[in-house]
This record gives sequence, structure tokens and C-alpha cells, in this order.
Amino acid sequence: MSAHASVDAQVLLPRPGFATVLWRLVLTIVGAALLGQSLVVAKARPQDLVTGVTGMADILRRSMPPDVQIVPRALGAALETVDIALLGTCAAVILAIPLSILAAENVTPSRPVYLGARAVIAVARAVPDLIWALLFVTAVGLGPFPGVLALAVHSIGMLGRLFAETIEDIDMGPVQALSITGANPLQIVSQAIFPGLLPSLIGISLYRLDENVRSSLVLGFVGAGGIGFLILTSINLFQYRQVSTLLILMFVLVTVVERLAAHIRTRIR
Amino acid sequence: MIDSAPAEVDYSPTGAEAGNGDAILEIEHLVKDYPSGLRALDDVSLHVGGGEMVVVLGANGSGKSTLLRCIVRLIEPSSGAVRFGGQDLAQLSGARLREARRSIAMIFQSANLVKRRSALSNVATGSLGRHHDLATAFGRLPREEMLFAGELLQRLGLLHLANKRADTLSGGEAQRVAIARGLAQRPRVLLADEPVASLDPEAAEEVLVLLKRLAVHDHLAVVCVLHQPELALRHAHRLVGLRHGRMMFDVPNSSVEPGEIAALYRDSPA
Repeated sequence: MSAHASVDAQVLLPRPGFATVLWRLVLTIVGAALLGQSLVVAKARPQDLVTGVTGMADILRRSMPPDVQIVPRALGAALETVDIALLGTCAAVILAIPLSILAAENVTPSRPVYLGARAVIAVARAVPDLIWALLFVTAVGLGPFPGVLALAVHSIGMLGRLFAETIEDIDMGPVQALSITGANPLQIVSQAIFPGLLPSLIGISLYRLDENVRSSLVLGFVGAGGIGFLILTSINLFQYRQVSTLLILMFVLVTVVERLAAHIRTRIR
Repeated sequence: MIDSAPAEVDYSPTGAEAGNGDAILEIEHLVKDYPSGLRALDDVSLHVGGGEMVVVLGANGSGKSTLLRCIVRLIEPSSGAVRFGGQDLAQLSGARLREARRSIAMIFQSANLVKRRSALSNVATGSLGRHHDLATAFGRLPREEMLFAGELLQRLGLLHLANKRADTLSGGEAQRVAIARGLAQRPRVLLADEPVASLDPEAAEEVLVLLKRLAVHDHLAVVCVLHQPELALRHAHRLVGLRHGRMMFDVPNSSVEPGEIAALYRDSPA
């Protein structure tokens, strides 16, 4: 007790005041109300999980054993899925780099350009890739290419923002040093900003590729080709043994891409 | 002159006294008022000739960094002239300013090297102002400039660092590589803003010896802002004292009074 004699407990640990207690109460009630209405709106009925068990078991039984006949066709579709993601990501990286330079506060050439670039990024990001895919399927027809376009547009937004934030964090010393040697703006970007940025850019792009492989599976459901389109077809034809094969393949595919991307990311510094 | 300087030039210390010949850089009645109302530079005039190392001394906030930054227009002077090569730098803008800046190299407190590039590439980037083609705009460096950069590193005794990445260099090594990058500009004037502030005493000594040799051997006009009067007294040809933006003295090293230097750092309101 004497050890704390020099500390006034009342000052160090004051009792919460009336306003604080009231504030906490209000926050608790608002939080509970928010959660409650979401349960009602989403029509959450936990009992369905119980009654649905027989249906689930039925589907599982009909999915076994996996149908290996579809594997050759599925491998082609898997390649398509990966290629959609690869092409979409590459296109996005190439376009996002100049866009992010315009959208980085510390290196942008002018305020209106900065705001314009930020607006492009915001729109590309805000619209989900699935919606972009629906738009592009309508515009250019079914197939993998609208999938590529959808991933590219959405990824430009995601990458543009992350790239711009990375650029905003760079050390401006070399930039200043080069600008007073008489170097022009393009030289400063390519010779002073870019080399320091490269590992971050590669890391972010690989992460995006990983995400895009997943997205490209889903895009198949809206007609953008690949393994997702095969799964949709098999479900519609009640070919659950094919579906289980495709799901296993999808799991392997996603895991391999994810591990590979993670491995490369740790290797670059 | 660096252009044609042979690689075997010896940079051993010499007692050569400098200050001969006409001024290369003429600063006339330079004034800088900050929007806050602070007058950072108050009617500063300074002439610096080739082969001369002038050290500017002063306390924090005395305006010494502002002076250097006004010369290269990193900061806009409020009035006055900076005459160099027959033109007034304070009046130039755009491409003509970029061109004039090429002949003035500037060294900062931190080396400001691009960390993930080799020392050699960093030196070569100093020459970019001379090459405005598509290849250099996309990150390439001209081969002849890489060779010239190697020559510069050799002259500064740093050739063994050429292929080391900049983020692996020590503070003193990085600062000397930064000086080599400045030389790649083929400058006539070398400005140094507290170049040894973040270095240990030994590295600081090496950097200042190097700056003085460059002044003498390459006939550069060197203006160096320093924090440490004892270093200034050891290396400068001429000493300039700034206090609250005003020039207190401008004298040859041999005739400076210790009291004059001490007065720069006595803290009293202007």
C-alpha cells in the first residue's frame, strides 16, 4: 500500500462520469438494434439448418464418387480461368502505373489531374468485377474476353489506389536531388521513384493476381468462361458428380496460385 | 573542365590557396521574406570564385540553408539577383532554369541516393539533365555516362563501391557517392547543405577534404553550409557568418576573429 503512496488513485484512475456511462449505454442499444434488424431483414432462420440436413446429405451422396471423365475438359477450363486472371491483371498493372503517378499527391503534375485520376480509380473500384463482367458480356458477348476486361477494369481501381498510396510514402530526397540536376519529370519517375517502388509493386500485383484467379472462377457464372462456367452448367444439369470433381480441382487451383504468389512475394525484397 | 579531366588526377592534399580569378557565382542583395513575416535573408551579397571553398556558418534559423536553396530556386527569393554564367538565375524559369541548374550541383545532409540502385547508376543519374531522350525517360542510363560515372568513382577512390547497392553503403560512403553524382553534372558550382551533419567525425573529415580538393583541382566554386565552426576553420578558404538572415562577416579563414564566430551562436533576439 505504501508502495503506491505517491500516486493519487483518484486522479490516475477516475470513475467514468455520467456522460460516459450514458454514452456507452446508447452505443450498446444502437449496436443491438442494428444486429436485430439485420437478422429480420436477412430472414435468418437457424431451424432451416436442421431441416436442410437431409437435403445436404442427399446432394453429398449424389456427388460421390467424383466423376473423373470431366477432368480433361476441366483442365482446359482451368487454364482459361488462370489466363483470364493473368491477362486481366497484366493489363491492369500496365494501366495502373501511370494512373497512380497522376493520383499520388506528392508527384502529381497538377491538382485537377490528381482529382481526375482519383475519380477514375474510385469508379473502377466501386463497381464490383461481377457487375463489370455483366456489362462487358452484354457489350462484347459471352466468353473469356469480357471476363478479362472486367478484371482489368476493376483491378485498375484496386491497384491504382494501392500504388498511389505506396508512391505517397516514398522518400522524396532522391526526387529532389534529381530534379535539381535538371532531370525532367519522366526521368525522375523512371529513375528515382520507380526503382525504389519495384518490390512493393510486384508484391501488390501478385496479391491482385491471386485475388483475380478467385474472381475469374466466379465470373464464369455470368458467362465469362472458364471453370466457373463448367460448374454452372453441371449444376443446371444436376450432374453433381461432375460438380464435386470441379470443386476439388478449383480448390487445388486456388491453393496452388495462392501459395505460389505468397512464395514469390517473400522472395523479393 | 571535369569533362576533360584525365582519370589519373591526383587528389592528394595541397596547400594551394585559392580565391584567384573572377567570381563565378555572384549573389547580390538577396532577400527572402516568408509568408509568416519572417525575413530569412536580409540583403545578403556574396561572390564566390572558382577554386574557392566558402563555408557559411550560423545558428539554427540563421538563413544559411535558405541561402543555398534560393540560389538553385528550391525556394523563391523575394528580391535580389543570383548571377551565374551571364544570367540572373532569379529571373529564369522552365527549361532555361533546368539548363542553368545543370551547372550547379547540390549536396544535402542526407545523401538522397536511390536505395535500390548501384552506386554507379546513382552517380550516372547526375548526368540526366544532359540527356532528354526516350531511353532515359524509361529508366535507362546512357552507356557513356556509366563509364564517366566509373571514372568519377575512381577519382574519388570509390571504384570498389561501384556495383554495391546504395542501401548497403555507410553514411560517409553514401555522401561521397552523392558528391560524385553531383560531379556527373559537370558543375561549375558545388553547393553543400550541411553535408556532414549526419556523419561521424572521421567520415565528416573525409567529405570536407574532398570538397576542398574539388574546389582547388577542378576549379569549382564551393559553397558549404556547416554547423561546426572548428571544421570550417580547418577546411574553408573563406568564412561567411549569418545571423538572423544578415551577413555578419565575410573574411579569409586566416583573419577571422574567434569572437566573431562565437557571436553568431549567442542567443539573443534580433
